[in-house]
Amino acid sequence: MSTKRATESDILRPLSATSKKYYALVAVTLVAIGLFAVAWGLQLRDGLIVTGLADWGSSGGVTWGLYIGAFIWWVGIAHGGIILSASVRLLGMDRYQPVARLAELLTLAGLTAAGLYIIIHVGRPDRIVTSILLNYTETVHTSPLVWDVTVITLYFVMTATYLALTLRYDVTRLRDQLPDRFEPVYKLLTVGYSEAEDEVVERMVWWLALGIIILAPLLLHGGVIPWLFSLLPSMPGWSGAIQGPQFLTIALTSAIGGVLILSYAFRTAYDWDHIITDDVFRGLTLWLGLFTLLFLWLQLQQVINGVFAAPIDQTHAAEAKLGHPAYWISMGLAITTLAFIFAQTIRPSLFSRTRSVLAGVAILSATLIEKIFFVVEGLLSPTFELYHAVPGSYVPSPVEIASLIGTIGVVTLFFLVVSKVIPVVELHAIEAHEDDGDEHGEAYEYDGDGEEPTADRRTSTEVNA
Amino acid sequence: MSTDEATADEVLADLHTDEWEAEMQALLEEGDYDAELGLEMAKDAQRLVAGELDEADFYERYHDAVIDEFGVDDRPVAEAIEAADGDRETFVESLEALEDGDLDRREAMKKMGAAGLFLGLGTWASKENAEGGPDAASVAAGSDEEEGTQYGMVIDLQKCDGCLACVVACSQENNTSAGANWMYVFTYEDDQQQGENYLVRTCQHCSDAPCEKVCPTTARHKRTEDGLVLTDYDVCIGCRYCQVACPYGVNYFQWGEPDTPRSELDPEHVYDGRDRRVDSRPPKGVMGKCTMCPSRQDGKRGEEKIGTTACEDACSMDAIHFGDMNDDESDPNQYLERVRAENANDREDYPNRTEDTVSTFRLLEELGTDPNVVFVGNEPGPNARQVEGPVSYEDVGEVDRRKEVLDDGTFGGGVIG
Ligand code: SF4
Ligand code: SF4
Repeated sequence: MSTKRATESDILRPLSATSKKYYALVAVTLVAIGLFAVAWGLQLRDGLIVTGLADWGSSGGVTWGLYIGAFIWWVGIAHGGIILSASVRLLGMDRYQPVARLAELLTLAGLTAAGLYIIIHVGRPDRIVTSILLNYTETVHTSPLVWDVTVITLYFVMTATYLALTLRYDVTRLRDQLPDRFEPVYKLLTVGYSEAEDEVVERMVWWLALGIIILAPLLLHGGVIPWLFSLLPSMPGWSGAIQGPQFLTIALTSAIGGVLILSYAFRTAYDWDHIITDDVFRGLTLWLGLFTLLFLWLQLQQVINGVFAAPIDQTHAAEAKLGHPAYWISMGLAITTLAFIFAQTIRPSLFSRTRSVLAGVAILSATLIEKIFFVVEGLLSPTFELYHAVPGSYVPSPVEIASLIGTIGVVTLFFLVVSKVIPVVELHAIEAHEDDGDEHGEAYEYDGDGEEPTADRRTSTEVNA
Repeated sequence: MSTDEATADEVLADLHTDEWEAEMQALLEEGDYDAELGLEMAKDAQRLVAGELDEADFYERYHDAVIDEFGVDDRPVAEAIEAADGDRETFVESLEALEDGDLDRREAMKKMGAAGLFLGLGTWASKENAEGGPDAASVAAGSDEEEGTQYGMVIDLQKCDGCLACVVACSQENNTSAGANWMYVFTYEDDQQQGENYLVRTCQHCSDAPCEKVCPTTARHKRTEDGLVLTDYDVCIGCRYCQVACPYGVNYFQWGEPDTPRSELDPEHVYDGRDRRVDSRPPKGVMGKCTMCPSRQDGKRGEEKIGTTACEDACSMDAIHFGDMNDDESDPNQYLERVRAENANDREDYPNRTEDTVSTFRLLEELGTDPNVVFVGNEPGPNARQVEGPVSYEDVGEVDRRKEVLDDGTFGGGVIG
C-alpha cells in the first residue's frame, strides 16, 4: 500500500505531461478510425451488401449481426459504467471514488459508439432524423427501437448533466492550474458558479444518481434493450423474461472490465498508484467475479429451460446454441475468469493488477462474443424453420470488423482527448484522502488483503498517513 | 362453420335446458349476489340473443336492479353499464370487449356471480354464432375484426403442383432482385403426410402485424382502406426490424443496387393510389416484400386488373384466390364455400360429423399475428422438411438461396466467407 499523499498536482498531471507514448497511441487510434471510415465509405457506396449479412428465411442468412451485437455491447458498457458511478455516489462506496469519473466518461464514450452503430447499421442513415423524428409520436407507442433511441438519448443527457455538475466544482477550484488554451470550455462549464451552489449541486447529483440507479437496471439495460428482442413472436432463442436480468449482468461485467482497463492505463501512465490503489483493483475484480457468476447462472437457466421438455422451437434454438463454438468460446472465457477470481479470493497472493486487467479483457471479449452470437443465433433458429436455408450462416465481413476496431479507436481517442482537458479523477476523491472524515466521506479502507469489500469489513483507519 | 345454419330459436332451445339452469343456479349460489335476479337476467339475455327483446329494453329492465345489487363498483360490469349509459349502441361492444378478454367463461361467471349472467357471457357467444359473422363462411379459425375491406388470399395447396409460375410472375411483375422471392413455394415432406406437399408463401398481410408494430418510422404500415401491409420506400430507413419481427420470413432487404434500375420501372407501378411509393422492387437500402399488388388494386394498371394479383393470374391450377376476406361474396370466400360444398359430409346418416372434409389453416396462427391468408390443405407439421421440388428455382431462372448471390457483393466475401 502506498504511503504517498494524493495531491492536486497528481490529478492534474495528465493535462500537462504528454509523453511520446501518448502521441503514439493517438496515432494508433487515428489509424483505427481511418480504417473504419474507409470501410463505412465502401458501405455507403455499395450498400449493406458489403457486410456478411443477408435475409433470414429462404435466403439463408441473418439480417442482423455484428453491428447490432456490438451496439448492445457498447450500450451495456455505458449503462454498467453509469450504474457503477451512481452506486459510488449513492451508497457511499468511497473507495471507488477515484474511478467514478472514469466510469461516467466511459458511459458517454460507450453511448457515442452505440449511436454510431445505429447509424452504420441502417440502410438509409440519411433518413434517420426525418423518418424517426417526424413520426415519433406515432411510433413511440409500439416500436421497441424507438423506446431504445428515447432512453439512450435520455441517458446521454442525464450522464452529461451529472458530469457537468461535478466538473463545475473541480474546475472552479483548479482553474489556475488548468491549461489556458481550453479557457472557453472552462468558462462554459463554470458559468454562473458560486460556492453557495455546492450543496444544492451535491443534492442534485444525489438525485440524479438515484434516478440512474432506479432507471438503468429496471428500464434500460434490464428493460428496453432486451425488449428489442424478447418481445418478438418470431425467434425463440430471444424470448423469455430472463433476457432482462441477463442483459443487465452482461452490462455490469462489461463495464467493470472497461473500468479495470482504464484504471490500469491511467495508473500506469501517470504513476497514480496512490490514487487508484491496489485495493480499487481488488475490489473491482471481486465485483467482476460476482457479476460473472450471475451472468453464468442466468445462462444456465436459459439452457436448462431450453433443453428440458421445452416446445420444439425452443429446443431447437437451445440445441443450436449449445452446438455452436462461439457460445463455448464466450462461456469458456467467462468461466476461466470466474475460476481465477475465486482462486484469488482464497489465495490473495494470486492477485496482481495485470491479472485483474486480463480478467477485464477476457470478460469484455466474452460479452462481445456473447452479444453478437445472441443476435445471430436468434435469427438462425426462428420458430418457422421449414426453409431448407434455415439455419443460415453468417461470417462478419472485414467491413464489419473494421467498425469494431474503429469504435474502440473512437472510445480510446475520446479518453486521450478528454484527459487533456479535464481532470479525470475528481477533486473530491483526493480531498477525501487529504482530510479524512470530512463531509465528502471518509477514506475507507478494508483491513487485510484479499478480503471482500463489504461494508462490515471496512474500518476507518488512516489510509495515507 | 357448423352452427351458422342453426336458427336463433334452436340456439335458444339448446341453451334452455334444465341442466343449464341448474348449473347457473349452482354457480350463482357460489357468489353472494341475488341469484334470482341473475337468473332472470340471464334468461332475458337469451331472449335478447334470440331477438325477442331489444337491447334498450333489456338494458332498461335491469339497469337499476344491477346498480342496487352491485353498486357502481370497479367490476368490469360497471364499465359495461357506464358505457351503455352513454351510448346504447356501445353496449354490445362492451360485452364483446369482455368476451374478447382471456377470461374463462365459467371463471368469469363465478367471479362476477349474477353479474356474469347479466352479461350473458355464455349466450353472447351464441348470438355471434347464430348470426353467423361474415367470417363464419370463410374459415372456422379466423379473425374477429370484420370491418371494412381486408385483402387476403385463399390458397388451395391441394391444387398446387409446384410449377413456380407464381414465383416467376411475381419477380417479373415487380422486378425484384435475384433471390428476393416475395412469392415462395415450399415443397416439403412430412412424416404425417403422404408424398410431397406444397406450401405457397406470400406475405400474410396480418391484421395484427408485428412488422408494423416494431417499425420505428411508420414506413411499414397497413393501408386503412384495404388492410394491405406495405412499406413506404421513401420513409424506410432500412433498419430491418420488420424482417426480424415477422415470423414468416417474407421480407427481403435491398442490400445492394437493385437488378433493375429505376428508369426501367413503370411509374404507374411504383406509386399506389395514395401516391405513396410502395410498389415494385425497393430501392437500395430499404425493405421489400410481397405487396399483393396495390397499384393493381388502385386501378392504376387498368380496370381489368383490379382485384387480381400477378401470382393469381399466373397460376394455371387456380390455386390462388385473391380478394376481400371480409366479404362473403368475394372470390376467395366463394371459392372456399364451393370447395366445402363439394366435400360435404353425409350428415343425415352421421349427424355428429363435421359439415365437410375440407381442412383449412392459417400459418402460425398461434403467434397472434392474425394472418389473412387461408390455406386449403394440410398444415406442415413441426417436423416437416423442405425438399427439392418438381421444378427447381434454377429451372425457371430464379435463385433460391439469395445469400449465394449476396455473397458476391460481400467485401472480402470470397476470402473468408
Ligand atoms: S407476414 Fe410478416 S411481413 Fe407480412 S404482414 Fe405479417 S408480419 Fe408483416
Ligand atoms: S426496415 Fe424499414 S419498414 Fe422495416 S422496420 Fe425498418 S424502417 Fe420500418
